[in-house]
Amino acid sequence: MSTTSPTDATSASLATAKERSAARRMWAVASSYTQFRIGLTIFVILAIVTIVWPLLSSASATKLMIADRAMPPIFLGGRWDHILGTDQLGRDLLLRSLIGLQNSIAIALAAVILMFVIGSVIGMIAGFFGGWLDIILMRLTDAQLSIPLIILAITILTVSRPTPAGVILVLALSGWPTYSRVTRSITLSERRKEYVRGAQILGASSFRIMLLMAQLILPPIAFVAVLDVARMMIYEAILGFIGIGVQPPIPSFGNVMADGRKYLINAWWIATMPGVLLFTSLLSINLMGASLERARNRLYKGTI
Amino acid sequence: MVFLLGFLARRLLQGAAIIGLVSFAVFALLRVIPGDPVRLMLGPMTPDYVVEQTARQLGLRDPLLLQYLRYMKGVMKGELGRSFTKAPSGEAVGGNLDLNRGERAKVFDLIAGTLPLTFQLAGLALVFAIIIAVPLGLLGGLHADRWPDSLALYVASVFVSVPNFWLGIMLALIFTAQLGWIPSIGYNGFVYTVLPALVIAVEIAPIVIRSLTVSVAATMQQPFVEIALLRGLSRRQVIISHVLRNSAVPVLNLFGVQLGTLLGGVLIVEYIFSYPGLGFLTVQSVLQRDFPTIQAIAMVTTSVFVLINLLVDLISAYVDRRLDY
Repeated sequence: MSTTSPTDATSASLATAKERSAARRMWAVASSYTQFRIGLTIFVILAIVTIVWPLLSSASATKLMIADRAMPPIFLGGRWDHILGTDQLGRDLLLRSLIGLQNSIAIALAAVILMFVIGSVIGMIAGFFGGWLDIILMRLTDAQLSIPLIILAITILTVSRPTPAGVILVLALSGWPTYSRVTRSITLSERRKEYVRGAQILGASSFRIMLLMAQLILPPIAFVAVLDVARMMIYEAILGFIGIGVQPPIPSFGNVMADGRKYLINAWWIATMPGVLLFTSLLSINLMGASLERARNRLYKGTI
Repeated sequence: MVFLLGFLARRLLQGAAIIGLVSFAVFALLRVIPGDPVRLMLGPMTPDYVVEQTARQLGLRDPLLLQYLRYMKGVMKGELGRSFTKAPSGEAVGGNLDLNRGERAKVFDLIAGTLPLTFQLAGLALVFAIIIAVPLGLLGGLHADRWPDSLALYVASVFVSVPNFWLGIMLALIFTAQLGWIPSIGYNGFVYTVLPALVIAVEIAPIVIRSLTVSVAATMQQPFVEIALLRGLSRRQVIISHVLRNSAVPVLNLFGVQLGTLLGGVLIVEYIFSYPGLGFLTVQSVLQRDFPTIQAIAMVTTSVFVLINLLVDLISAYVDRRLDY
């Protein structure tokens, strides 16, 4: 047994070395694309504005100022203290949108991390052990995939009080099947490789081998999960729009736009401006995500 | 042929299992949640004993499994039950419901009435999406790493970043309210499908563009493309008969996987435009706690999902004969 640990350690360190360089290479390739730089620039600017502006602004996101209601944005003759105008109750739209953006990113990020963890654990277990466990887990995945997210979300959130945690849970619940499918198929092909067999022969436990494989399999999937952050932000907005997302008075893109929709003819900017901000932030994330996906395709040549 | 039949039998059996699983999950979920549908049906002023009596009549106080089995027995006979809240005209009956069962709409009729409209919407959306996505994806894949490729990537990134409900509001505001070019709220003829379909197309197109770009670029690297060119086929012939055919399979498969997303998109867009399809019916039924209708919709969507995925696999196998079932 004395030979076990050195060999095991070598294969592990080899694996991590390979993984590290692969993840770094992927990052290097992605950041050489113009679209990645554009996306990153927009994202950094938005991030700074989102963090700094609410601290500097004298306006309040929730305080009602009826005298200032439905004020147009600055380029339509509004005032400088309300750059994007105000909503039907006189609240500053820029501030409300920015706080909506903060909430949106936090919820989407938490949902993606959760679905990534659930999906990859289930996928690895299914792919690694195979047999009836695989069949059951994959049928479960199919069943989950065949219920549209929105129907599931509406059903669950209308009957339980919608809280941010509830929204995160529903989004994660609907997103994990794609991750478990991808992880399973990679695990299946990876399981036949020599380092796994080697570790098995040397007596490593299944858990240990799966940890070893996870280091190799998961980083490329995690990179592409960036695209899902953007998707979840849209869903968060949709839920808010139907009235089952983050609840007023806390601003979210969805509930601000749902309010604005009622005043579309007289004050079109209330529904439009938050949408423009949401679109811009999604675009920046998607440009980065698409570059990462492209870099992965180039490096792995379709093997993942 | 025997293989094909075996494959069909296996997949249909799996499909039935999935439908059973989903319908039971939805059935159970709908009955453990708070909010009594009978209370909603009869209105807040009804005395408790009447509510209880009606609930018993409708069989809502029996054990869960018994209710489910009774329901499935009905489904086997093609009986989907009656809506809790809707009259045959489609109007919500709400508080002033007569206990006479004949007053309430058959769920089957409700769904049968909306399904054609939803298929029309989804079909037109697919046509729009193909018109937008196939040229872009094909050119992007053929000229990998040159400007068409970048164009495809930027267009896909922009489209995927547009929130569908926001786009719907904006299109309705600009083209219906301000310019008055195309009517779009409600349904009163085929024109009403155009704007909603456009919104859904914008949602589907990026998925197609991305996967088509990748798969066309990958197919172009295959030796058979070079050989076909050496055999003296024109580039055009090679692209149409070899490249497109082989690139179609991954796109088709992706379509099967993304179907759930598409259905979700249809639902939201119908809600925005008050388009009286299955999605609009779903939102209404959920908000009114109309159990039989939600239950049936979940089963119908799951069945559609299973069937389309089966169809996708059959078409893939037909397009690419190397795939076995």
